[in-house]
Amino acid sequence: MRHSLELTMQQRPEVLERVLRVTRHRGFTVTQLQMRINEDASLSLDIMVDAERAIELLSNQLNKLIDVTQCRVIPAAASSHNVCAQ
Amino acid sequence: MIRGADAVIKVLAAHGVTTVFGYPGGAIMPLYDALYGAPVEHLLSRHEQGAAFAAVGYARASGKTGVCFATSGPGATNLITSLADALLDSVPLVAITGQVSTSVIGTDAFQEIDVLGMSLSCTKHSFMVTRIDELIPTLYQAFAIAASGRPGPVLVDIPKDIQLAELEYRTPLLAIATEPRAEAGDVEAARRLLAQARQPILYVGGGVGMAGAVEQLRDLIRVTGLPSVATLKGLGAIAHDTPGYLGMLGMHGGKAANLAVQDCDLLLVVGARFDDRVTGKLASFAPKAKVIHLDIDAAELGKLRRADVAIAGDLRQILPALAMPLNITPWQAEVEHLARKHRWDYRHPGKLIYAPAMLRRLANKLPQDSVVSCDVGQHQMWVAQHMWFRRPEDHLSSAGLGTMGFGLPAAIGAQMARPGATVVLVSGDGSFMMNVQELTTIKRRRLPVKILLLDNQKLGMVKQWQQLFFEERYSETDLSDNPDFVLMASAFDIPGRSITSADEVEPALEQMLTAQGPYLLHVAIDDAFNVWPLVPPGACNSEMMDEPETRT
Repeated sequence: MRHSLELTMQQRPEVLERVLRVTRHRGFTVTQLQMRINEDASLSLDIMVDAERAIELLSNQLNKLIDVTQCRVIPAAASSHNVCAQ
Repeated sequence: MIRGADAVIKVLAAHGVTTVFGYPGGAIMPLYDALYGAPVEHLLSRHEQGAAFAAVGYARASGKTGVCFATSGPGATNLITSLADALLDSVPLVAITGQVSTSVIGTDAFQEIDVLGMSLSCTKHSFMVTRIDELIPTLYQAFAIAASGRPGPVLVDIPKDIQLAELEYRTPLLAIATEPRAEAGDVEAARRLLAQARQPILYVGGGVGMAGAVEQLRDLIRVTGLPSVATLKGLGAIAHDTPGYLGMLGMHGGKAANLAVQDCDLLLVVGARFDDRVTGKLASFAPKAKVIHLDIDAAELGKLRRADVAIAGDLRQILPALAMPLNITPWQAEVEHLARKHRWDYRHPGKLIYAPAMLRRLANKLPQDSVVSCDVGQHQMWVAQHMWFRRPEDHLSSAGLGTMGFGLPAAIGAQMARPGATVVLVSGDGSFMMNVQELTTIKRRRLPVKILLLDNQKLGMVKQWQQLFFEERYSETDLSDNPDFVLMASAFDIPGRSITSADEVEPALEQMLTAQGPYLLHVAIDDAFNVWPLVPPGACNSEMMDEPETRT
């Protein structure tokens, strides 16, 4: 099943590696990825993943990353946002 | 103005660090120079893995954050196993590694490896300091992250030029990390489930000790009368003579513990995480039970088992809110009956030394202030089954990672943290050799660590599985060419003796425990005996195998 996540992260050289490592290790495959630097120098990452597992197994782990300040799971309908701020 | 290296030592002192463990090398020389004559005591290990395990033992025996140093390249890679161990067992640790100078990072310089990259999967968090003004705030953050929430290891990689650069020492202002707080509604829901339950049981993990919630847990048991079981890391959280306490559950758990959990209608999970060694076949673990799951780490809630009520928060606050008298007398009687029916049997006819009986005897002989550190394998499970502990910090065992070679350096760290305590290492002939170089550390400091070496001339646990599940094909588990352990210890000025028969056990334990300095008691145990009971891989916890009638 496909899931979309929106992450806000602190700008650190290795932060993308951290996110991708957790994603892979927890059993999710990245199918789409876009990152940009915000005006406040934070980073935004839109990531689409594919997995049999429940998305919370990934979003909970991403939320634990120190440099990830916010991780939102975007429901398939994309009508409302499920906010799980750290 | 002081050097970055001097600032590191100042930050350690500011965090109350009095002892660090480590091994010097090229890229960390400025830090070792700053250490020279500093008030922080340094314990030289003989392998960086030993240094980091000593820091783990120090942290686990004291509740403080352990600190270790290593140089770049091989020094740092040698830390990796210990960091992984600390990650899986949630041990607060700050590891500081030297790195080649910033100007040559990325050029494959001598002893350069991407330690930050390597650390990603085996630390709670990690940093590489690339600017001198980031050094002090980064170290402060490292200590805060290591000890807060669910504790864990934090690595700080400091290039040599940063260690040498000058700065003005300023204490940084840090934002206070917010811990999750329990919602009143969730606590109410948990109380309702507890009140409705007819057959509730407490499943207690290492999180209780890490949260400093042992008293709150014991109060909860006193008030509710809840029967209880513990994980390997949870041992010591509940006093062993508590009514309804059934000891360890899981693959090598007691029969009564597993049967009671399988039969319960409510599982109150406190600081535990449904590890596969605990649950056996997950789908059939406590199949009738509703679940209340309490943990500081929200990511553990619902990870493996859906909870009816899940609360992320500080156990010291949640547990008292659940303490209320329960009406579960018939269930308590049933649990007592199970406990009596499946009590350990220490009768073992014959002259050979029966390890479980010896360990029970040792537990009963240990003074109040004692720490038992163990390695990994059969002896580790026997320690968990047959010894008992006053507090979780009195039992050091590599639980999550199951790292052979953990025990000796962890015992060294524990002895440094608690110099007045009797520290006993219970090791096996396989594990002991994995960090045996740390005997030098004992010799160097005359640490009075007592070593109880259980020798069955085998990699016993692997051999047990070969016997049971691999048609007795004993591939590479024979260790009958072990060294003469007593002779080897003597090379490190550690006296000792060897025993082979059951009637020697009592005087030999006495001699070991009353020895002034370090001591090695080498015990040739009955090698026919395995660890029982055992839940076979993939089986449900009620399908425990017992000791077969005929032994090999």
